Amino acid sequence: MSSGEKFFHLTDYVTDRLNPILVKETRQALKSRQFIITFMLLLTVAWLISVFGTIWYGPAIEYGSAGRAFFVAYYYVIGFATMFVIPFGSFRSMLNERDQNTYELLSISTLSPRQIVTGKLLSSLVQVFIYYSAIAPFIAFTSLLQGFDLAMVTLFLVAGLVWSSFVSMIALMLSTLSSNRQWQAINTIGMIGLLLWQMSSAFAISAAAFSESIPFEKEEFWWMIGTMLLTISSYFLLAQQIAVSRLTFESDNRSSSIRVICTLQFWLLWGGVWAYSFRYGAAFVDEETIWGCAIVSSIHWFIVGMFVSTEPGHISRRVRRSIAKFGVFRFIVAPWFPGGSRGLLLLTIHLIVLTTIARIGVWPRVHDIVTVMALYVFIYVAIGTAIGRLGQAMSPEFRPAHARVLTILIGALAMIAPYLPAAFGFTRWSNTYTLDEVANPGRTLTIIGRAARSAGSPDQWQADVILTTLWGIATVAFLINLRAMFTGVTEVRDWKPIAAHDSSVSEQVGADPAAT
Amino acid sequence: MIEPVPSGAEANDRGEPSLELRHLHRFFGRLKAVDDVSFKAWPGQVMGFIGPNGAGKTTSMRVMATLDTPTAGDAFVCGYSVVDDPDKVRRYLGFMPDSFGKYANMNVVEYLDFYARAYGLKDAERRDAIEHVLVFTELRKLADKSIDSLSKGMSQRLGLGRCLIHDPQVMILDEPAAGLDPRARVELRELIRLLATEMNKTVLISSHILTELGEICDSAAIIEAGQILAYGTIDEIQRQQPSVDTDSTGRRALHVRLASVDNLEAATSSLEKWLLEQPMVKDVQCSIGHAMFDIEGDDHEQRQLLQNLMAVGHPIIEFHGKTQSLEDAFMNITKGITQ
Repeated sequence: MSSGEKFFHLTDYVTDRLNPILVKETRQALKSRQFIITFMLLLTVAWLISVFGTIWYGPAIEYGSAGRAFFVAYYYVIGFATMFVIPFGSFRSMLNERDQNTYELLSISTLSPRQIVTGKLLSSLVQVFIYYSAIAPFIAFTSLLQGFDLAMVTLFLVAGLVWSSFVSMIALMLSTLSSNRQWQAINTIGMIGLLLWQMSSAFAISAAAFSESIPFEKEEFWWMIGTMLLTISSYFLLAQQIAVSRLTFESDNRSSSIRVICTLQFWLLWGGVWAYSFRYGAAFVDEETIWGCAIVSSIHWFIVGMFVSTEPGHISRRVRRSIAKFGVFRFIVAPWFPGGSRGLLLLTIHLIVLTTIARIGVWPRVHDIVTVMALYVFIYVAIGTAIGRLGQAMSPEFRPAHARVLTILIGALAMIAPYLPAAFGFTRWSNTYTLDEVANPGRTLTIIGRAARSAGSPDQWQADVILTTLWGIATVAFLINLRAMFTGVTEVRDWKPIAAHDSSVSEQVGADPAAT
Repeated sequence: MIEPVPSGAEANDRGEPSLELRHLHRFFGRLKAVDDVSFKAWPGQVMGFIGPNGAGKTTSMRVMATLDTPTAGDAFVCGYSVVDDPDKVRRYLGFMPDSFGKYANMNVVEYLDFYARAYGLKDAERRDAIEHVLVFTELRKLADKSIDSLSKGMSQRLGLGRCLIHDPQVMILDEPAAGLDPRARVELRELIRLLATEMNKTVLISSHILTELGEICDSAAIIEAGQILAYGTIDEIQRQQPSVDTDSTGRRALHVRLASVDNLEAATSSLEKWLLEQPMVKDVQCSIGHAMFDIEGDDHEQRQLLQNLMAVGHPIIEFHGKTQSLEDAFMNITKGITQ
């Protein structure tokens, strides 16, 4: 066997073990006009920077800090390719599969949705490495100059790689959200805007960081890097799971993995707070940090809740087969199974955890604020769950998105309703808080915050009234959904596998209006 | 409606069906695109799936191909449910949609190579599968050609090759001959026939060109408004239509052809004159060498007429009733309902 044949067989052997999408996408990308143009443009601009930069500095290049300036210029050039061109290519890559009618053929192959998403992401990473290798000789040139800092260069190149992967993943996720061509066109415009915004933000942050020395020796710096990496990783996983779920076959479980990741994100946040206070003592974690984390957690659960609690309750035969045999275990994992009522239960459990953390902590002034935020999240999501359940019972064409939009409209209406009489001139504008503004979280939280800051003030009495009212509304919302939540759990606990031939037509049609 | 084949004994002879639809339903809101469809197909069988536009053919095929989920009921490929085991179904199924996309910047071999990898074929198995498909579809010469530049006929061959790359037991072809020129149609028809006869595959094929389906299919299911109206072998479907050659007034249409004698015009004229004198013969239409007419009566009258024609000495070389094609059966069975 000649060395050429040996190389061919080796290549074949290696590529056989790689993701097929990666092989295909890389083959296509390397032949594509977009890649060739970007690659040539990158080389040309980097070359021009080198030539004109050297002329500009003149003899000063020997003793100034030209190394850093050259690196910054190259970094922006490569940044354009890795933070804009590559993520946009990932976005278009998935859309093209739908536009060119190739996605269906892909989806009926034995490739899993995860392999499809991972393959496309890996292909974008390969391109990042190719662009990095193209710019590498120019960066090597800067290392000969004064002001070149290897640690800084490594940090920024790694950060660029991580950020490019993250943005490509987000782009891939967004490309799976709509199969409708009109929406795809709108998504594309939005995507370009988003990419330009994140790229310019990343450049601005980089510019600020370039102007200062990086405190590698400080522990806080590594805490910050760790926190950022964990946050990016968790949202990377979430975006990947959403993309995978969007591509997953309808009868499969599209929800549980997303629920698990969202739960982990919540615990990761509070675990991080606990780890920090454990390392430096609770006194180092101030009220503002807890307040900020509570706001993030509330927003997190509101968004997650609006999606998971409006899902149709039906679970396919395929998902039922995956449920564990043990009743106790089933009971515990029920909130992570698909279905709106189980989603509301998941939310309720975590809101209780959130308020408990605030109660047992050493930050007394945030107790009521966190409780009020949790109550608002619960009330609005519970309304969405009830609307979703009612709508799905009334019409098979009622979708979870309808429930979400209706909930937001009802919330908005409840918030502006108290101001309508004044807006139409029937009453006078007043800045005094009244209880009919209780639907408005912004106004209400201001009163609660003021009361928390000044114990014994007149605001305290009003805060107590607000809290009682909110607890009352939340109790009603809970009771409206209690039966559904109970059924949702017992359904999972009592499920028995159903063979395909045992499920009657009427059972399936009746049980799954959303499938129509 | 024609009862489904096979009988119990026949089913045992054939073994398990490789494709089965069991009370399949697919609703889109109030629209019942597929409404309680059931049928079976066995290895080595080419089954036509016939129906007007909007009848539910493509929807049913998409469910079978695991591109869509049924509202109720199920479909089974080699015993695996499309709802419960779509992953396993995909291993045994090749689907060719009515229009399929092509990737940019890719040649024929790279296209087949990608799908071979996507179906998990590795090393020699993958190379052999690609070679086999290139030979079977006669695309060897075009192996390095960009798939963007292939003609419609060649693209359909490539599509068929893609379906075959993982050697599936069941192949579902949705309008594979649409838009092809006559030669490409004939060639594709031959390939499809070979899939069943040589490779023992089950082929479910939909087409609007019923004459072609009649030639390659050994069974058919006729669907309209989401429901199966007839299902069985082609012979069974044709046989079970209201009398093949007798119309509602009790007449049967007959055709006679004369041999190429010296004075064919005179022979035709003589035949026409004789036919008009026969009391049971109606609506005589003659052209040189041919006569078409109706007779009132049954097999006995038809036999008597033939005997008399021969006895008189007309140079007849053909005498037959009008045969019912799949197209006729389709027109009789369907009512032109659209949803």
